[in-house]
Amino acid sequence: MASRPSFVVGTSLSLSDGAPEAEKNAAESENTYILRPIFQQRFRPSVVKDCIHAVLKEELTNAEYSPEEMPQLTKHLSETVKDKLKGMGFDRYKMVVQVLIGEQRGEGVFMAARCFWDADTDNYIHDVFMNDSLFCVVAAFGCFYY
Amino acid sequence: MEPGKRRTKDDTWKAEDLRKHLWAVQSGSPKEDKKHRDKKLHKDSELDLLEYKEHKYRDPDRDARHRDLYTSKENPYGERDREKHREKRKDTKDREKEKLKERHREQDAERLHGRGKDREKERDRRPRKEEIKQTAAYHNILVREARDRQLLDRADKKTRSGSKVRIEEKERRDEDSERVDEDRERRYRERKLQYGDNKDNPLKFWLYKEEDERKHRKPREVDREKKHQEKGSTREKREKHSKEKGNFLTDKEGEERHREKRHRDLDDERHRNHTERKERLSKEEHKKKESKEIEKEASDLQNAGPDEISANFEDDFEDYEDDFEVCDGDDDESNYDPDSQEKSEELPPAQKREIQEIQKAINAENERIGELSSKRFPKQSRMEYEKQSRADANISPSRTPVCGIFVDFATASHRQKSRSQALKQKTRSTKLLRLIDLDFSFTFSLLDLPPVNEYDMYIRNFGKKNTKQAYVQYNEDNVERDIQTEDIETREVWTQHPGESALVSGGSRDRGLSDATIVPKIDTPRLSSFLRAACQVVAVLLEEDRLSVRPSWQLTAEDNSLHVSDSSCQLNTDLPFLQNREVLCLHASQVQRQTVVSVHDVPGRASFPPLDSRLLLCVWDIWQPSGPQKALICESKVTCCCFSPFKAFLLFAGTVHGSVVVWDLREDSRIHHYVRLSDCSWTFRTPTFSTDGILTSVNHRSSLRAIEPVATSVYRKQSFVLSPFTTQEEMSGLSFHIASLDESGILNMWVVVELPKADNAGSMSDLGLLPGGRIKLVHSSVIQLGNSLHRKDSEFWGPTQTLSVKFLPSDSNHFIVGTDLGFISHGTRQDVKVSPKLFKPQQHGMRPVKVNVIDFSPFGEPIFLAGCSDGSIRLHQLASEWPLAQWDSSTEGSAICSLQWSPTRPAVFLVQDAASRVYIWDLLESDLGPVATQLISPDRLLAMTVTGESDKAGGSFLALALARASGAVDIQYLKRQWTVPKADEQSQLHLLLQEGLWSSEHPWRGPRGPPRT
Repeated sequence: MASRPSFVVGTSLSLSDGAPEAEKNAAESENTYILRPIFQQRFRPSVVKDCIHAVLKEELTNAEYSPEEMPQLTKHLSETVKDKLKGMGFDRYKMVVQVLIGEQRGEGVFMAARCFWDADTDNYIHDVFMNDSLFCVVAAFGCFYY
Repeated sequence: MEPGKRRTKDDTWKAEDLRKHLWAVQSGSPKEDKKHRDKKLHKDSELDLLEYKEHKYRDPDRDARHRDLYTSKENPYGERDREKHREKRKDTKDREKEKLKERHREQDAERLHGRGKDREKERDRRPRKEEIKQTAAYHNILVREARDRQLLDRADKKTRSGSKVRIEEKERRDEDSERVDEDRERRYRERKLQYGDNKDNPLKFWLYKEEDERKHRKPREVDREKKHQEKGSTREKREKHSKEKGNFLTDKEGEERHREKRHRDLDDERHRNHTERKERLSKEEHKKKESKEIEKEASDLQNAGPDEISANFEDDFEDYEDDFEVCDGDDDESNYDPDSQEKSEELPPAQKREIQEIQKAINAENERIGELSSKRFPKQSRMEYEKQSRADANISPSRTPVCGIFVDFATASHRQKSRSQALKQKTRSTKLLRLIDLDFSFTFSLLDLPPVNEYDMYIRNFGKKNTKQAYVQYNEDNVERDIQTEDIETREVWTQHPGESALVSGGSRDRGLSDATIVPKIDTPRLSSFLRAACQVVAVLLEEDRLSVRPSWQLTAEDNSLHVSDSSCQLNTDLPFLQNREVLCLHASQVQRQTVVSVHDVPGRASFPPLDSRLLLCVWDIWQPSGPQKALICESKVTCCCFSPFKAFLLFAGTVHGSVVVWDLREDSRIHHYVRLSDCSWTFRTPTFSTDGILTSVNHRSSLRAIEPVATSVYRKQSFVLSPFTTQEEMSGLSFHIASLDESGILNMWVVVELPKADNAGSMSDLGLLPGGRIKLVHSSVIQLGNSLHRKDSEFWGPTQTLSVKFLPSDSNHFIVGTDLGFISHGTRQDVKVSPKLFKPQQHGMRPVKVNVIDFSPFGEPIFLAGCSDGSIRLHQLASEWPLAQWDSSTEGSAICSLQWSPTRPAVFLVQDAASRVYIWDLLESDLGPVATQLISPDRLLAMTVTGESDKAGGSFLALALARASGAVDIQYLKRQWTVPKADEQSQLHLLLQEGLWSSEHPWRGPRGPPRT
């Protein structure tokens, strides 16, 4: 327990295809803001959680912590999750996927997030995966692009 | 051409102004040119237009060239600089600071001018195609001049980076090279004439050119020398000018190739770039060829003289292309910079290489930038750009000016657009922010992993290191057990308070120890029976020894013997605890004939303090008179007692308080009270079971008069199914009941139960049971004799007293009860009708005569004797209400106290009366009175019992146990005549009873015969 815990964080940002549209809208007429997402395209934490969980389970079941591989792994995970989320049809949503992998050495870890956002449209979900050698926290934030 | 001139040019750059200015500049430059141009412009504007077209046509070539030039200058500053530069151009300020910028501005201005013109005449482009050639020829001259100027500019620029001397040289050489070019042109023209027209024979032309190039390449230095020499000679040949130009181009190409080769030799690393470049070069060559053809044609046909205006134009075009490169990525390949080429020629090889490398890098970067910019540009601009490039393809004359303007405005518009975009975004965001609410979310806890404590960490890592976990199970097969420890050892211990008896505490022995010791196989019952018998024998022998040792004591006993007896012995009642105690009654066992029990009353005066308040019973073996076998104590006065019928190990007694007590003589002496006397210790046994205080609802409330064992052997077959104890009871001889009769006529039946296991701690349910005792009495039934005894004529006498009870030996269901009214009642336990109901004395009427004793004949005869308090003795037959015989005066009126059939002779019975006399009756000998009478005196007789055995190995005996008033008990063995039965005695008695007594002595006998009185 003498060594300090090491964490690796990878973040993926993605903007789904909402931006150009918005631009166009703005250009054509001033007041066609879409203030609320279509209900079916809302950011649904449960669905996203399932998705994240599936990814984690697939990728990390037999993973062991090694400081050299983790940066790539976090990036890979965040990209994978982001891509999956993009494919889920959350229209006009900006996705932020953060992946943290830390080694399980018995130390206490507390991790928290705070957002400044529109609580009506934006949401987040996180999932934690643990095995004997590592823990992985994936937090996915969905911000609506008006 | 002077720098000052240029500066003045650059003052204003508004579109119209620029145009005017340009015009002015064009007219104001070399006079010849101006003139010429003016002429042409004014005369024929169309020509002018064509000129532009021509220029346009050649554009790709020059674009590229110019681009190289431009980038070589500009690239060090990067794109940012370029933008800055553009901005500055717009602002029209600080022009003089950098020559480069000045030049650009100039070019821009000219371009603007050109563009303006171009726009005007764009429509007329096609019809006038034919005139292009003329203008082209004229244009060529312009090109050359422009190049000169450019060279100068570049030289200026070079001064900043390079050495001045070299630049001067370069300038000089530039001029020379021009000459050389002219020469070359000339030569080329000549050759062309030889080979024929290029157009007709392009291959020939190509070959020629190649040849020419080769020629030029190798002896270049020589050429230069030559050029030098020819420096002085000036030629103004317009027809040759175009040729010169063509030559010049080829020359340049040759040079480039040469340089390329050299470079390749020197630098292998760049090999790939080179090959690319080679490809590009081949293309260039091709293009150049085309352009050259056109030029040649133009020069050939038109022979237009060189003009300053055209030079100006040329300059404009070239400069313009500086800006154009931004959009014009298509024509990158066709780069050829004559000036840089020349420079490189003059520079030392190392520097040249350097420059080349720089150029290459520049090229690469340009390409990249071109792509980038094209990408970055918004769609609109791209569209324009595409349009433009299309125009290029169409060789549109308006292309160049349009491009130039576009480039300028594109960046501007882009900037503007981005600005407006930002503004839009801003307004949009402000509007949106009004519509939506942004708020801080509460803090999400993404992960809360508490620190693991040391133990958990240890457990988590357990087994991963050098440790192993093993599984241990106590009592291997017993997996289902929760507790894996050994059994708890338990031991039962009891204690008694107050500690009256010797044994106040106890408990099961340590089982482990007893288990551990090897127990030999012993047939315990057999051994115990053997020991019992052996002990008895040994005891008797010891007793005999003792008697022989003390003849005096024996003698006295002899002296005490009565005349009716052969011998006698005295039971040792001199024991301290028997002092001063009167014997209340004696009883002999029916099965173990030698066993006699004597009941000793409480002592008259204190003699043995511990037992003074208690009644004592002593069980004697008449063969061992030295001491009682067992000493029993009882709290209350015992009125009657009896032994168990089959084995004499149980003693039952009735008390004056109405309770029934039982002693189990088999009990271990340790659980009883111990008293140590002088030489030995005595055990005084308390009753095993007592009905005192229990079963109050059914218990007797008056003094008990009789207690009798009731054998149930007759009913064994009927009841064995019902009783779970049958076999056990049979084995232990317990298959009997006890009947107890009190004075008030209540007959209780008790079942004797032996407990399977003794409880030393005492029983909670059986309150009468001695701790450790195994025998208890269970109340079976109660028979109220009062009703049956109640008679109308006896009301006068009050309630009938019952004094004695006997059960029929043949049928234990039937019993007879002696009353105080002289008659004997006959009853059954099952309440069935019996006859006769009463056995009456011969005297008629009620008399207060107590029937004290009743005794059935032990030999199976259905007869019984009854002794009454008035001294009368009655012999009754079961079948008859009236007695067979009645002897009223045999005792002279004294009450009969005891009466018993002889156990050895069926016709003999013994009677004791209250006057301390013993009568011996022998019915066969005499049926009128006793055959012998013995007065016991002076020590009065208090109680008597008879015991004896007929079939004993040592001979039959008949013994009288006599309890004297002094407390002594002596055994009188009667003489043989009363002991040994006569032959066929029973049948004789039977006969006597049948005939003799009835006929002779009782003539009045009959069912209702009159009383004799």
